[in-house]
Amino acid sequence: MSNPSLLPDVMPLRDALRGWRHALRRGGETLLEVMPVGSLPRPAAELAGVVLREVGEIAKGVDDVASGLARFALKANDKQPEALQRLTAKQGAEDAFAQGIYAAVQSVLRRLNAPSAYVSETAARSAFLGLTQDQRLGSDAGIAAALSLALADARVLRGASAEDAAHVPGNSLENTSIFAVMLWLQSNRNEAEDEAALFSATDLAVALAAEADAAFRAHDAKRLEALYAEFASHV
Amino acid sequence: MSDLPPLSGSLPPTNEPLRIAVRRMRWFRAAFEAYIEAVGARIGCTYKIDEAKLGGIFVRWLRSVERQKPSNPKDRHDYFEFAAGLMLRELTADMPLSVVSAPTKADASTAATFWPEGYACTMFCLTVHSAAMQQEFKDKPEVSPAIDDLRHWWSFKENARMDASFSVGFLQTLLGHQPNWMMPDVFRARLSQELLGS
Repeated sequence: MSNPSLLPDVMPLRDALRGWRHALRRGGETLLEVMPVGSLPRPAAELAGVVLREVGEIAKGVDDVASGLARFALKANDKQPEALQRLTAKQGAEDAFAQGIYAAVQSVLRRLNAPSAYVSETAARSAFLGLTQDQRLGSDAGIAAALSLALADARVLRGASAEDAAHVPGNSLENTSIFAVMLWLQSNRNEAEDEAALFSATDLAVALAAEADAAFRAHDAKRLEALYAEFASHV
Repeated sequence: MSDLPPLSGSLPPTNEPLRIAVRRMRWFRAAFEAYIEAVGARIGCTYKIDEAKLGGIFVRWLRSVERQKPSNPKDRHDYFEFAAGLMLRELTADMPLSVVSAPTKADASTAATFWPEGYACTMFCLTVHSAAMQQEFKDKPEVSPAIDDLRHWWSFKENARMDASFSVGFLQTLLGHQPNWMMPDVFRARLSQELLGS
């Protein structure tokens, strides 16, 4: 049996691979448009193609792992979602939280037809670890508000294209996505309704984008808490 | 007075009371989509739903329902009808439906042909209201003959375009009640009118 504490921290590695893939998708696509790989001399073109495919496959595998863990992390065994207060009180829940945030934000971005943003698990983990003891003991809405601001400050989402950002009112893609996920985490749902609930939380977040974004920009935790308290039971 | 067209079966199932389920975005959206599809099939019309508009409609409706909720339990029955009217107000104020292909199975002189979008939204509100009333009060609301009178629908469409609150009064009319046309979307005004009338 291996000792988990001696295992290397793979989260930054996953982030690095995703960051690489993100850069390839954003910059690589542009580069290929200007100078297609096919126009390179044959050995170089084949090599470039192999590298691009390999990186894509590795990063895809990384996502599959994270998605599976997220399901394990954010759902309790009794088919009820884990209350945020229980999650934040649990020792060592930061990795599960970060993996869950990654998978959920990716789903939200797909719902918003804005796949270009890069999502950082490491940033999500540091946001979780940065909560104060007082914040961890608050109401679910209060914890969600504190986590939301921490996730935004840690820039858990970054690098969205201008076109994708414009899919949300006020170009507030990052804040709206965080708001959607945190609203979903507080919702009353069973496992069968998980995805429908996340999509509904996303729709609500878009409808409330102007209010939520203003609260994020003003760093107004009370206002965010009030919005969560008002809408968590209506997801 | 007559029964509603039999489309209540198109509403999705829920383990919660309808009054709770309808205030959840996921059930509301599923119910609206399923109902619009059923209405479209019945009248031979294809609709398109603007999902972003539907989210905004739901939020505004929820807030207006919460804001005016009466404290006296005796007013619950009336408030169910009023809440359905508020729903119609929000739907007509920012219509989430557009017609992709016009009705082919409805008579030219019917509301379904005259204003397919308004007709579908009105029937949705009436159907959810009817299902909730049966569940909460064992009361099956009937609709007024006005529902088959195109003049009412013409008036509804024209007036709602200028002032969406007219929709609340229109729904009350369809349910056989006399609205307070001065302030149709203010529940207290409605209560006052009923007190004066009694």
